[in-house]
Amino acid sequence: MIKTLIVDDEPLAAGLIKEFLAPYPQFEVVATCQDGFEAFKAIQYHQPDLIFLDIQMPKITGFELLELLENPPAVLFTTAFEQYAVQAFDAKGLDYLVKPFSEARFAQAIARFLIQHQNAAGYSAPSAGNSPLLPGKSSRLVVRVKNELKVIQVQEVRYVEADDDYISIHTGEGKFLKKMTLKQLEESLDPEKFARVHRSFLVNLQEVAGIEPYEKESYLLRLRSGQKIPVSKSGYARLRQVLGL
Amino acid sequence: MKEEQALVDAFFFALFFLGGMLLLDRVFRHFTPNRKNGPLLVLFPLLLSGGLVWAHGQLLTWWFDKETDYQELVSTSFFYRWVVFALAFQLLALLAVVISKLAGQEELSRREGQLLQLSKEAELAQLRQQLRPHFLFNSLNSIHALVLASPQRARDMVLLLSDFLRGTLRTEGQSWISMADEIKYLSMYFDIERVRFGHRLLVDLEVEEGVEALKIPALLIQPLVENAIKYGLYGTLGEVKISLRFRKEGNYFQVSVENPFDGQVSVPAGTGFGLSSVERRLFLIFGRTDLLEKSAAKDLFRVHLKIPVAG
Repeated sequence: MIKTLIVDDEPLAAGLIKEFLAPYPQFEVVATCQDGFEAFKAIQYHQPDLIFLDIQMPKITGFELLELLENPPAVLFTTAFEQYAVQAFDAKGLDYLVKPFSEARFAQAIARFLIQHQNAAGYSAPSAGNSPLLPGKSSRLVVRVKNELKVIQVQEVRYVEADDDYISIHTGEGKFLKKMTLKQLEESLDPEKFARVHRSFLVNLQEVAGIEPYEKESYLLRLRSGQKIPVSKSGYARLRQVLGL
Repeated sequence: MKEEQALVDAFFFALFFLGGMLLLDRVFRHFTPNRKNGPLLVLFPLLLSGGLVWAHGQLLTWWFDKETDYQELVSTSFFYRWVVFALAFQLLALLAVVISKLAGQEELSRREGQLLQLSKEAELAQLRQQLRPHFLFNSLNSIHALVLASPQRARDMVLLLSDFLRGTLRTEGQSWISMADEIKYLSMYFDIERVRFGHRLLVDLEVEEGVEALKIPALLIQPLVENAIKYGLYGTLGEVKISLRFRKEGNYFQVSVENPFDGQVSVPAGTGFGLSSVERRLFLIFGRTDLLEKSAAKDLFRVHLKIPVAG
């Protein structure tokens, strides 16, 4: 049996997928979820082989959900938005069904999945941390805190520090880990609001209280919250540019 | 004889004065001196007044060629006359320049205003485009799902959607619409969303008597309601109640819209709620920035809109 999860906030849309799946007895719909948080829990619990994933949903988007999964299952995106196709491809979605889609188009997607599923050995699951975020557009970050999800608005972020394969996001509430590289994060944020001041540090410019010289050709950035962040030579040049010094 | 002299003198003096004024006005209306030829602003009136007074003197000397007393008077009064002319012309030249500058600025700001309006309208149209196709395709998808399971509901939905689209297409080109129409389209919009999201959408619509007859600018209330739906219905789970109140108080038509939102994941009021297009539109139409108030308390977002109406 192929364990299948349907994630869509519209009951009729989810119902249609179920209806289209009916001719394929090998698929078992283990759950239908209406938002990303619920889907996250269901994925942990059921470990499905396939998800039908809507993109625009309450709480978090389908992309944000995928980012949080260590070993994401195969994903078939279903959405009314055409413009996410490129992002969906980046997120290693198996197929992208634009609503409303025909039964024939649906069958194509299923066939694509079955081929992948049969050569399961050859199929490499999308690796987490392959961020499909839109460049310069992110306004929030979704992180895992144990088995719960938390949404952080980017303006609440003070600074971000690189930590091996992870980044640690520092906010007024504390520190949150996320599997992602600092470069990926930097690219997804507005360059007028966040600056990479050091190989391992990205800073929210609104939090900057001052800059002081440190050693030869290096500086320390003072944040409003009191922390001090090292600034490299190239980071200092970038800061001068964005702050207009 | 003296009386005749005074009259003729005064008549031509006034005539020359007027002529000079007209000439100056013409010149400085169309030619605004810049920094480089700024002295012209002083020199031209000075020379013109000198020339005119001299010409006036010549004319009068020729006219009364036998009256030596009078000729004496004309030549001694030359400088007094020149001073009077020069002062008046100077003042006029300055005024003409100031007026032409002001007119130029007015023209400039009028054009700027038009440009702004055009770009805002384009932006508004674009904003609406973002929601429309999404709304439309999801609605079609619902019909797709209903066709087999519940043919009657599918039919109802097709009719609803057609009526709604026809209505919005019709109002798209108009700048003012009646509240009766607005309320009709809003109800259709809610009915469509109710089909899509099952029955978790509750709408509390309160319309004061007499409000239907009012005419209001298009695209003011719809975006508020679409916003409420976006954050209230698309953004949260469970039952969602959206409250709409329309009433008239004094010279204002008052609209209030309330919707729940998920404070856990959405930005608090004022920043991310996409109402700036309505604010800009209000500013363009009424030149005011105090007509839209937003507030967020706990998980409830509230918008209050005042539309000035005549009478």
